[in-house]
Amino acid sequence: MGHMGFFTDTTLCIGCKACEVACKQWNQLPADGYKWTGNSYDNTGHLSATTWRHVAFVEHTRPSDSTGKVVNWLMMSDVCKHCEHAGCMEACPTGALIRNEFGDVYLQPDICNGCGYCVPSCPFGVVDLKLDDGRAYKCTLCYDRQKDGLEPACAKACPTDFITFGDLDELREKARRRVETLHTRGETSAYLYGVDEDTSGFFPPDGPALRL
Amino acid sequence: MNVEGRGRLYAPSGLADGPLPTYYEPVESPVTNLLYPHTPTNPVVKYWNRQDNPHNGLANPDYPYAITTYRLTEHHVGGAMSRWVPWLSELQPELFAEISEELAAEKGVKNGDWITIWTTRGEVEAKAMVTPRIQPLKIEGRTVHQIGLPYHWGYKGVVTGDIANDLLMLVADRNVSMHNAKSFTCNMRPGRRSHQGQDGSRVAREMP
Repeated sequence: MGHMGFFTDTTLCIGCKACEVACKQWNQLPADGYKWTGNSYDNTGHLSATTWRHVAFVEHTRPSDSTGKVVNWLMMSDVCKHCEHAGCMEACPTGALIRNEFGDVYLQPDICNGCGYCVPSCPFGVVDLKLDDGRAYKCTLCYDRQKDGLEPACAKACPTDFITFGDLDELREKARRRVETLHTRGETSAYLYGVDEDTSGFFPPDGPALRL
Repeated sequence: MNVEGRGRLYAPSGLADGPLPTYYEPVESPVTNLLYPHTPTNPVVKYWNRQDNPHNGLANPDYPYAITTYRLTEHHVGGAMSRWVPWLSELQPELFAEISEELAAEKGVKNGDWITIWTTRGEVEAKAMVTPRIQPLKIEGRTVHQIGLPYHWGYKGVVTGDIANDLLMLVADRNVSMHNAKSFTCNMRPGRRSHQGQDGSRVAREMP
């Protein structure tokens, strides 16, 4: 089996946060408190030990164009990228972080000793220590669901298929075709991130981006 | 719905306000109607004329702002079910009102400040979300500000907040009696609501 992963098409995200809720429900993660941030519709703020999906909202002001719209609301659901060259895995002294049979970076909570070296080693702020039991937690890419041949909960819940899950080689092809389509439609700023770099990163604030 | 499954521009029967579509102002509006100066609002609208259901009128300087209420994806209808679900409530934990940067500057409101919104029916307090997504309108040479208010909060649940419907006038369209919560007028000031209950809790004010 090839490596499995996500292709996220930020042109399709509508900011519904269904992925956040589906992730918390499937993985039985607790709510993190009820604080209104005032930062657009984002009351999650960042990924953490108990938040493995985070939808970012960017209110992007630009000069009024022919549509008269002065604001573009960019939404993007962020998650662990399961990097090919994973900083967290390289930093882990116990071997708790492994690459599983689906090619994903999986954190084994029964091996983790809570040293926290993985936390600053992740350039994307994904891994986090849970304060009550001291161990590190992050997205498992729904390892348990994949074992049963199911797609991860977030991808299942996504109503626009902004999050697509599958074989990475197939997704790379799909992503390249999608960028070509967007270019044909005149969205020349659309580009792919993380396809040839073997990892992916934060979405660019200045235009639609597709990432793997 | 017609037997052929389509709507009609010309509807000779079945409508109380047909046969052709036209434009009226909502029963409460910050402006008057240039198209029908003498009949500015729909003449067949259903009113409930009661002491506790007063009317802000048209172009009333005491209620200069256009306001609309709407849903968020995180909550379900009035929020009575979703306010008890921690996974949903953490995503939208408090009542907020969306206002433009221009209105915020005019009133000295910063993002995250408490503001109070009131009509002739009631008042609610909400956190101000100052955003360029809300833009002031330019109508007949003057600036008309808009306020957006989600309506999922109440006094019970893991998250609570003021009830947007306290602001509404009960008025409905003649065809299907759909109640109007989408366009009415209000006023706004910085700060928290003035009226409090006898036990110190913040409750809606007494009926007029």
